[in-house]
Amino acid sequence: MSETTHKSPYALEVRGLTRKFGSRTVLSDISFKLKHGEILVIMGGSGCGKSTLLRHIIGSLKPNAGEIFIDGTEITKLDDAEMAKVRKRFGMLFQSGALFNSMTVGENVALPILESSDVAPHIADLVVKLKLELVGLTGFEHLKPAQISGGMKKRVGMARALALDPDLLFCDEPTSGLDPVMTAVIDTLTVDLTKKLGLSAVVVSHDMTSCFRIATQMIFLFEGKIVASGTPEEIRANPNPILRQFINGEADGPIPLKLSKDDYLKRLIES
Amino acid sequence: MLRAYVELSFQSFVAIVSPLWGQRGWRLSALFSQMVSIGVASMPTVALANFLLGIVLAIQGAGQFEKLGATDLVASLVAFSVLREIGPLITAVIVIGRSGSAITAELGTMKVSEEIEALNVMGIDPVKFLVVPRLLAMIIMMPMLTVLGEGVGLFAGWLISVTTLHLDPVFYVQNSVAAVEQKDLFSGLLKALIFGGVVGTVGCFFGIQVEGGAEGVGKATTQSVVTCLTCMLAMDALLTTIIYFIL
Repeated sequence: MSETTHKSPYALEVRGLTRKFGSRTVLSDISFKLKHGEILVIMGGSGCGKSTLLRHIIGSLKPNAGEIFIDGTEITKLDDAEMAKVRKRFGMLFQSGALFNSMTVGENVALPILESSDVAPHIADLVVKLKLELVGLTGFEHLKPAQISGGMKKRVGMARALALDPDLLFCDEPTSGLDPVMTAVIDTLTVDLTKKLGLSAVVVSHDMTSCFRIATQMIFLFEGKIVASGTPEEIRANPNPILRQFINGEADGPIPLKLSKDDYLKRLIES
Repeated sequence: MLRAYVELSFQSFVAIVSPLWGQRGWRLSALFSQMVSIGVASMPTVALANFLLGIVLAIQGAGQFEKLGATDLVASLVAFSVLREIGPLITAVIVIGRSGSAITAELGTMKVSEEIEALNVMGIDPVKFLVVPRLLAMIIMMPMLTVLGEGVGLFAGWLISVTTLHLDPVFYVQNSVAAVEQKDLFSGLLKALIFGGVVGTVGCFFGIQVEGGAEGVGKATTQSVVTCLTCMLAMDALLTTIIYFIL
């Protein structure tokens, strides 16, 4: 994690990423860079392609065109074994937490540690305690995921993502479905941890309050394209009407709602 | 889809034998817990089903042999049909309904709740982590359950013959032993072994490729059970042909 271990000045760089599902273009010519130690927030409405973009960055999906560099390593053409090596250097917090329900909280956090090397179980236990301490869940090791709340699941997910001391943290909608207080807790945790541990983060979200609270860089996706990008201040000052409507959460504006607009009576009679 | 299935099966079997060339060994705790849930927990149902089938077989056989005045033949009928066919078949049907479906539903739910993707992201191979313990447990437990089922089936046939058909208990046993060869026993167990492989791979395959939430899990589970049954019966026909006509 020290500065000297970085191969490239950028933790993540995406160049000309394009992805089509059939004839539908989901991501079109996406390019951006993320310096080490920064938090990039990818914003956008539902179905704008932000989760698809994240899936490409973690190597779950392969693009039709374009390149993705993780600390200077191009990942789109790596095979499974090489990709597994790259993945050891990043952690991911899933939208649902994605904890293994058959295992306890402690076993969930210990899993990546025990799987990645021949660590003795008591060392792994110690690391688990440290990681749970980081997210404020000391003493919850023995509970099953079904016995804890949604916010706690996300924090356990965060502890698991951090288990192998990653350089890069990915969060998919980390605050969706949480109350405002828990949202603030998760946000503070994300900022604190990236600062304390010196890691970079990519966060996908559509929660505006949360986005502006944590981001050092932001990109706004709309229909698979980057409509706006910059620091939070630049994004706030950006006059783009689509972005303005999204930030202000207005029902009227240039974003098509895909609601039925034709005559209700006519449709009733026709059917 | 067939290609994806063959790929997964190939990967799984490679992963099963990979400890031979120094790869990390099997996850024994996961394997044992799967052996318990697939095998040990299935024992009562397997025993009951085979017991009932043994009774049915003896009574049906007796009805026919009585006309010929050869009720003694019930012993050999029960012995070779249980060992060759009924034992492995009924055991497999029970295991498919109980454990094959459970494997698909469990892996499917894990897929839907992003757990399998989480494994990938952590650099853990889902085939080694999830498929191998289940498949291996299936392959180990299916013949064991079959042995249990066959034992109970034979006992049921004997019990019915001795109590209701008034056959001599010792003579019945002697008749049974004389009727069967080692080949009958081993062909039945070979079938069970292969059924285990089929159910394990098909169950895991349908689970891992689930898409689309709870509905997807339900659909995949149905498909998995139907496919397991069909493949198992096709494999049965194929193996019977090979064993009794070619070997």
